[in-house]
Amino acid sequence: MNILSVIINENDDLDESSLEIFSFIDQLGSTNKISSLVFGGEKSAISKLCSDEIFYASLENSEALNPNNVLKTMDKFLSDKKFDLIVFQKDDISNFVAPALSFRKDFAYLPDVKKFVSKNESEIKFVRPVHGESAEAIYSVDISSTIIIKIRKSSFEMKHLSKQNSIVNEIILEEQDENTFKILETEKVKSEGIQLDEAEIVISGGRGIGSKEGFDNLKELAELLNGALGASRAAVESEWIETSHLVGLTGKWISPNLYFTFGISGASQHLAGCINSKNIVAVNKDPDASIFNHSKFGVIADCNDFIKEVIEEIKNIQ
Amino acid sequence: MRICVCIKEVPDSDIPSNKLQIDNQSKKILPVENISNIVNGFDLNAVELALRFSENFEESSVTIISVGNNLTSDVIKKPLAMGADELITCEDPSIEKMDIKGIAKVLSKMILKTGPYDIIFCGRHASDFDNASVPFGISEFLSIPLVNIVKNIKKIDKKIIIERIITDGFQKVESKMPLVVTTGNQVGDPRYPTLKGIMEASKKQIKKILLEELELEQNDIKPKVKIEEIYFPENENNVEIIEGNSNKEKAINLITKLKAEGVI
Repeated sequence: MNILSVIINENDDLDESSLEIFSFIDQLGSTNKISSLVFGGEKSAISKLCSDEIFYASLENSEALNPNNVLKTMDKFLSDKKFDLIVFQKDDISNFVAPALSFRKDFAYLPDVKKFVSKNESEIKFVRPVHGESAEAIYSVDISSTIIIKIRKSSFEMKHLSKQNSIVNEIILEEQDENTFKILETEKVKSEGIQLDEAEIVISGGRGIGSKEGFDNLKELAELLNGALGASRAAVESEWIETSHLVGLTGKWISPNLYFTFGISGASQHLAGCINSKNIVAVNKDPDASIFNHSKFGVIADCNDFIKEVIEEIKNIQ
Repeated sequence: MRICVCIKEVPDSDIPSNKLQIDNQSKKILPVENISNIVNGFDLNAVELALRFSENFEESSVTIISVGNNLTSDVIKKPLAMGADELITCEDPSIEKMDIKGIAKVLSKMILKTGPYDIIFCGRHASDFDNASVPFGISEFLSIPLVNIVKNIKKIDKKIIIERIITDGFQKVESKMPLVVTTGNQVGDPRYPTLKGIMEASKKQIKKILLEELELEQNDIKPKVKIEEIYFPENENNVEIIEGNSNKEKAINLITKLKAEGVI
């Protein structure tokens, strides 16, 4: 197959997670021709990407990258080149460009691919999660036209850079046209306290907490462990805690080292936001709560009583 | 100001995964118990933003559009109860077999047939299959701009000024009309329907468009992407239940384990 990987580096460095694309491509076999199209980033690292052919568009002159410029550049780039598969990863720009490009070029599109299954002369099969994270589906995609896929973050290893340099062919980033939005201002925000999506430890409460006061214990534990505070939708909707703490499909997507949950049952929409946590610890009085299926350690107890004991024990050892 | 909002009926995403079952005949996930479907959460954010925006104009209308098969009228009428003016649907069994391109074509043709609209609002993705792509199809097929993950929208003179969320902050952008706007929960909670709203919504007739009326071409509805099988991933995870005679003992045992693992 003729495969194109698309890498967007909004900052100056090579976005390391983009190297996950190459171990995904390895799963597809060893006889493929691999090309890379890279937007931004440091050229010396880019020349070491594991690709037979590298194209590069500098972002030096664009203050804030407009996804429409990448879309237009790719549309033009593809006018005289044909690929069987175009692979994006998940980032702000790719989330915009990948689906839009598929409609513009009449290509097939499949986001959040976590596994390659098989390929024959008419179709290729991939696995992706559906319904939050509660189920998976095998999709078959017609290979008679180009297929665009977006791989799921953290589902593949990062592949090391090659020792050899390849030639980097520069292309020009297209300017936006009238039929797109114009960026007037970009503001980066960093709120106070430990960021929910950056914290190593997140303490999270759900319906089982039962009251606004119950969250005081969670706050205390979060402070003791130097962690951030999370919540399920049930807790947010009951106004026990502000929406900014919401973890889940419609809230923050987090991957802390420890996700410590109290009174959370594990609805699919919540799991979508926390399933990538390295260690999930669940406290719930219902032994059948689905959160236990995804946890490393489980405690069957009333979460409000249990958290007090945890706080005391942490204080004892600190 | 003529506004349109596209909504989708989905299974309630708050159902725990052990209360879901798979119907591999229809390639769908259904709740085990008789739990009602909902309007996709982000679509209700879209309805909320559309209603708020429309309140700035003396003359405005908010039209809700939904496609599917066997839609539940009590569910999809919720935006009417929230204050939207009309609801137009297109229902057909063949819609279930379409991929994102087919759905985007159906919606685009419905928008052309019932419009013109100045702004088309959509949720950023649906909680069932999470493709996050149909709004891009509407934008491409209608050749109009799309601004994604919008928090705020204003009209200043003839320009539309939008606050758009990016990973580590936000952007202020400008667009012409007509355009497609997608929304997430940053919009804020959707308003609760009032009793009066619910009464009025129950009296409103759903306008139905037949799929044949949209004159789709074969190439529009032939799916390139198909679901072969849905399954619950085998649970390879073996949870270790922490035992103890009291909560205190369990807490001590748990903390000891977490320390040994280097997690805390």
